[in-house]
Order: sequence, then C-alpha cells, then structure tokens
Amino acid sequence: MKNALALVAALALAAIAPQAAAQFEGKTVTIVVGFKTGGGYDRTARILARHLPKYLPGKPNVIVQNMPGANSIIAANHVYGVAKPDGLTLGTFNRNLVLAQLTKVSGVKYDMTRFAWIGSAASESTVLAIRSDLPYKSFDEMRKAGKTVVIGATGPGANTYDFPLLLKELLGVDIKIVSGYSSSSDIMLALERKEVDGRAGSYSSLQTFVERGTVRPLVRARAVEPGIEKLPVDENLAPNARAKAIMALRSAPEVVGRPFVMTPGTPEPLLKAMRDAFAKAIKDPELIAEARKAKMDLEYMPGDEALRLVKEVLSQPKEVVDEFGKYIKFGE
Amino acid sequence: MIEAFFEGLLLVLQWKAFAFMLLGILLGFWVGLLPGLGGTTTLALMLPFIYAMQPIEGFAFLLGMHAVVATTGDITSVLFGVPGEGTTAATILDGHAMAKQGEAGRALGAVLTSSLVGAIVGAVALALAVPVVRPLVLSFGSPELFMIAIVGLAFIASLSAEGARGMLRGFLAGGLGLLVATVGQDPQAGVARFTFDSLYLWGGLDLVPVLVGIFAIPEIIDLAVRGTSIAGELPAGRLSKGAFEGVKDTFRHFWLTIRCSLIGTFIGIMPGIGGAVSQWLAYGHAAQSARTPEERKRFGQGDVRGVLGPGAANNSKEGGALIPTVAFGVPGSSSMAILLGGFFLMGLVPGPDMLTKHLTVTFSMVWTIVLANVITVAACFLFLNHLARLTSVRGQLLIPVILVLIFVGSYTSNSHYGDILVMFVFGAVGYLMVIGGWPRAPFVLGLVLGKIAENYLYISVARYEAAWLTRPIVLVLLALAVGVVLYPLIQSRRARSRKAQHA
Repeated sequence: MKNALALVAALALAAIAPQAAAQFEGKTVTIVVGFKTGGGYDRTARILARHLPKYLPGKPNVIVQNMPGANSIIAANHVYGVAKPDGLTLGTFNRNLVLAQLTKVSGVKYDMTRFAWIGSAASESTVLAIRSDLPYKSFDEMRKAGKTVVIGATGPGANTYDFPLLLKELLGVDIKIVSGYSSSSDIMLALERKEVDGRAGSYSSLQTFVERGTVRPLVRARAVEPGIEKLPVDENLAPNARAKAIMALRSAPEVVGRPFVMTPGTPEPLLKAMRDAFAKAIKDPELIAEARKAKMDLEYMPGDEALRLVKEVLSQPKEVVDEFGKYIKFGE
Repeated sequence: MIEAFFEGLLLVLQWKAFAFMLLGILLGFWVGLLPGLGGTTTLALMLPFIYAMQPIEGFAFLLGMHAVVATTGDITSVLFGVPGEGTTAATILDGHAMAKQGEAGRALGAVLTSSLVGAIVGAVALALAVPVVRPLVLSFGSPELFMIAIVGLAFIASLSAEGARGMLRGFLAGGLGLLVATVGQDPQAGVARFTFDSLYLWGGLDLVPVLVGIFAIPEIIDLAVRGTSIAGELPAGRLSKGAFEGVKDTFRHFWLTIRCSLIGTFIGIMPGIGGAVSQWLAYGHAAQSARTPEERKRFGQGDVRGVLGPGAANNSKEGGALIPTVAFGVPGSSSMAILLGGFFLMGLVPGPDMLTKHLTVTFSMVWTIVLANVITVAACFLFLNHLARLTSVRGQLLIPVILVLIFVGSYTSNSHYGDILVMFVFGAVGYLMVIGGWPRAPFVLGLVLGKIAENYLYISVARYEAAWLTRPIVLVLLALAVGVVLYPLIQSRRARSRKAQHA
C-alpha cells in the first residue's frame, strides 16, 4: 500500500512538468498590478515579467496589466473572483489588503487565505526619517527634546500617515502630522524646503536620500532590511501589550512586502510550476544585476510562508482588531 | 556653464544617440496621436530597452518619445475634438472650432509652430534658470502652490462670457469643476466623498475619461446631427492650404506665444501642480488678450490665439518638469517617476550633482526635447495638409473610428468599465453645457485645480496657521489673482472710453 502511494506520488510528480508545459506553451501569462505604472509594485512586476518566462515550462509570454483603483481592492477582487484558475493570471497587490479584510472594509470580495499563494518578492520596512540638519541623532533624543516634530504625509491608510500616527498616539511622541501631499515625492520636496521636519515611508524609497545625507532614519517597523538593522523598532518601545499588538499588526503585512498570488483553485501542477519559476527568477543573476541597477532589493519568500503570515494576521483576537481600527483606516 | 550647454548638444548629436532619438520620436508620434495610449504607459513599456544603452542614448530615446507625445496629441485635439492626451484638451476649444470652419490646416500649422516655439523657449528659460533653480523651487512652499491654484481659478473671469450672466455661469461651471474634483477619499480624515459605495470612485475621477466625455461626445453628436464632414460643405481645395498661415499666425502673435511658453515652463518647474494645468492657464491668458467684447466672443469659436497659447505652454512645460526630477531626485509626474527609474538603470543618481558635476547630461536632455520637437514639427509639416483633409471626410465614415478611439482611450485609464460610464456621464454634462451655452473651460479649470487648491490650503493652515497669509510670494500672487479677476472689467472700461473718444 505504501509503495503504491509512493508510486502514485512519483507518477503525479512526473506528470506535472509536461502538463504545465502544455498549459503554458504559446500562451500569455498576465500579471495584474493593483496600481498605475511607475510605482514599486509595478516595477517589481515588470522586472519579474522579463525573467519569469525563462523558468516556466513551455516558455509563455509574461505581460503586466495595470488595474488601479481602491488601493488595489479592485485588482484583488478581479484575480479572486473574475479571472479563471488556469494559471495564466497572477496578481500583485497592496500588501495591506489583508488589513482591509481584517477590518472588514466594504467592497472587499476576496479572502486572502484562499488565494493560490506564489510568494513575496521583497519585504518592505517602514522607517521614520528626519532632516539631517535637525539636532536629533536618535529617536530617543527626538522624543526627549520636548519639541513638536512636523511630519508630512499623503493620507490615512498610507504608511506615510499610519506609522507616525501610531508613534504619536501610542508612544506619545510629540508629532504633528500634516497630511494631503499628493505623493511621497511631494513630501520629500516639502522636507527640502523645511516645510516639514521628516517623513515616514518604505526604506527602499528613502534610501537614496539617506545616502545623500538629506535625511536620517530614526526608527523602523518590524520588517528588517540591510542598512537599518540597528534602528529601534517601534513595537519594542511600546509601553503596554495593547500598544505593542496594534503596532505589530500594522507592521505584519510589510514582511510580505510584494505579494504575488494566483486565482483560488488554480490546479496544483500549475501552481507548483509557477512557484518554482518565481523562486528561480528572483535568484536569477541577470535579474539581480538589473534590480541592483534599478535600486530595487528583491528577496524571495515562499508561498507557504507568506500564507502562514497572512493567516496569523487574520487570526488576531477581536479586541485587538477593534483597537487597531480606532487608529488605522484602510484607504487610498 | 555655456560650455556645458554646447557640450550637451554635441552629446545628442552623436550618431547613436541621435538614431535612438529618432526611434523614440517615431514611437512618441503615434502614442501622442492615439488617445488613451498615454505617454506614461509607453515610457514604462520602453524602459527595459534602455538596459543595453549608454546614458545619453537612453535619455535621447525616452525623452525624444516623451517630448513628442505632447506635440502630436494636439493634432488629434484639433482634428477630431478628441484630446489626444490628457494634457492637450485645451487646444480643442478653438483648434477644433477652426477645423469645423475649414481652417484645420491653419490651426494645425499654428499649434505645431507654437509647440516648437514653446519647446525652445522652455529650454532656453531652463538653461538660464539652472543656477537659481534649486532656490526657486524651494521658495514655493504649500502656501505659494495654493496661491498658484487661486490665480488659476481667477482665470475663470476671463474664460467666462461678458456680463453678469456670463460671469455667473462661468463661476458656477468652475464651482462644479471644484466639486467634481472632491470625488474620492479625502487625504486628511480618509472620508469617502461622493463615492456612492463604489470602489471605482475611491481614488477620484481620472482626468482622461472626463475630458474625453466633456469635449469629444458633444462634437460627435454635433457631427452626426449635421450629417456632413467636420469642415461642413466647404470646398476641399481650401483645406489643403493654410498650414503656412498658421505659422504666420504664430509670429503675428509672437509675444503671446512667448508669454504662454513662459507660463508653461513655470508651471512645469513647480512640482505637484501637474501638466494639465499649464495648458488651461495659458488658454486663460490667451483669452485675456482679446481687446474688445466682440473679440472675446470669438474665443471658443475659432480664435487662433486660443490655439497658440495652449500649444506653446504644453511643450514648454516638458523642459520645466525635468527640473524637480533632475535637481532633487524627486519626480514631478508619473512620467518623470518612470524616467527616474531610467536614471538609476543608467547608473545616474539624480540630485544636486546634476546641476554641477553632470550639467552636460542635464543640458543634453534639454537639447533632446528641443531637437525632438524641431524634427517632429518639420516632419508634420510634410503631411499636415493631408491630415487637414481628414476634416472633409464624411461624418458617417469618421464617427465609428472616433468612437473606437474614445472608448479605448477612456478605458485604458483604469481598465475598468467605470471609465466608460464616467465618459458617458460627462459626455451628457458636456452636451448640456454646449446646448445651454455654458462655458466648459471654467469647469475643467476647477477640475484640474480642485485637489491642488484643497490640499495645499489644508497643509498651509495645518503647518503655518494664519501666518502663511503674510508670506511675500503669497501676497504677490494674491495681487496677481485680483488683477486677473479685475482685468476684464478694466478692459471693458477702456474699450468704452475708447469708443467715447471716437464718438
């Protein structure tokens, strides 16, 4: 009996490659991106689209389709419920979609745990950075200086807003958030003209300005990236368990920074073929060289791991979710 | 610095860079012509091709393409009344009106020549501004940007018809534009405004479907109802001349063209104002140049100045828009964000160094914009008169083609059926406005300036409380806004006194 099972398993494995090849050969795989062209999600999808075909059986075309709107919810609903589970549609969305599901945002029609998870292409940590000409060398110095720090932000639901908001509300840091800038670029210019003292954002978007000496990062969220390991982590400074849980929940999706999924119900062989190709493409030397040139840091996380983290976020007790919802609003 | 200026030119003229620029121009030409196929998307698609290029070649390719999109977008606007790009809608008002009177050739000649002048003025202004450009950009904070929006809104006064009734309608249309601009989630409290529980409306309305609806749909209905060609029953012979007349128009109103070019450059340099604004401000300024009420009425019905102004501003802004990207490493628009990615790929980190150490590269980019425009305009003139003849094609043959273009054009903004709905809704709004004699320009001005005005006002108050009102540039801009509002009154008084003198 055991042998028979092993045989079946072996046969199944042997069957995977040709079946997937037949499915992909001569076809076009579409990566649906939940944002417009030009942003980080789009750039990640496009660089993968260039290198995925090499590793997919049958060498299909891979193209990118931008489906912006409602901060990715539209694209996620599409890949979840409209696209066919035929392995020809991938989706990459706002990492915070899991929080939209958790806080029951109206319009959410997907269940993050039911997607066929391929993995994540990067982890993105949020940092708070201030102008280098300010006297504070560390987060501690800034907190103890007793002066209000003006932080520029785009709006609620973005990490430019939510991260400093929790620092202010839960850690009691003297921060004034000025929100309404149309993009993080605009905040950066406001910072250069000293309209604001600092801004929060993903470390990858701030890195060039840190290197140039325009800003100094002071505190980060849980996800770690090379260069910011030594910064204090917001949730470790929390005065109580409640604050810690709220900050941890905000940071949790950042570890799965660039999620890639397929439609629920995608046949196992196709999913496996895509997962393998994804894993190999991210480690492809040519892709790494290109990513380095484009100043993108890609890091592979397997689908199972990403799914585990997503489930962990969604299994938070109701009290924590309610408390979280008092501060954080999923938004555009 | 002058040395770098000319070295930059030599860089572009190297045969490889030049060849890539030509390739870019060819692509940009079509992208601009076809509505919906936007410059930004095409830049993103073309980005991978520059991996193998040298920095100068890569920029020649990308910028050559980018610079031309705005130029050829105007052609679609003039010929069919369909905005070829979101940023070329203002040329429709008078450009397409001219086409309907059988003057398509002249309108095209004018729009292309003014585009060329705009590109050159923009580049020269930029070259002269390099030493002061960082302090210049930094001296415009949120309060100043808010006031620029107010000056823009003040132009409603010169875009409305004469008299109390005309003014009232103009300001109401502008108010409607402001209201439409508030659709979506607000960035201060995250409240959803006018979204009717629809996910599509969360992010607000996209400019392209709204503009296509409000301008193209009334034109299509008009064309269908008339049952003729765009240019009516005019003899075809007249159409194929006139392009040169448009060139002469540009020089007849040379100062206006220069002034509008400078407006475009200035708005381009200001980050966070956006490309769509510059054309409408230039249009408003062009409308101010009308001396008598009779002339004022001609605007919107085929005054060539209404073509020259936006044409010039549209191209001069491109050079300006490079500045925030190059000097601060902060992209001024989504196209520039993609271009910034191109910088990285070619091993350049944009920032203050681009104005000192790499100044030659910066100038080579400015030159690319100028050269790409010169080449495009020259090429266009070869078959401009043929293009103009499209306006004598029977409407029944043209309408299906235009319909396809506007449907695809609207749909590509979000790939969502909502885009089509928005186009129809605003098509109806546009048609009713045309029928009822309501001006559409103030509406668009309100729409493109609404978010800017709202957000920068909020930031100004949140950051500076009332103190922002006393900043010197704010006061200067306030005076300018008051001047813009009062200008039509002063003008009509002057006209009256002139009449009195003659009598």
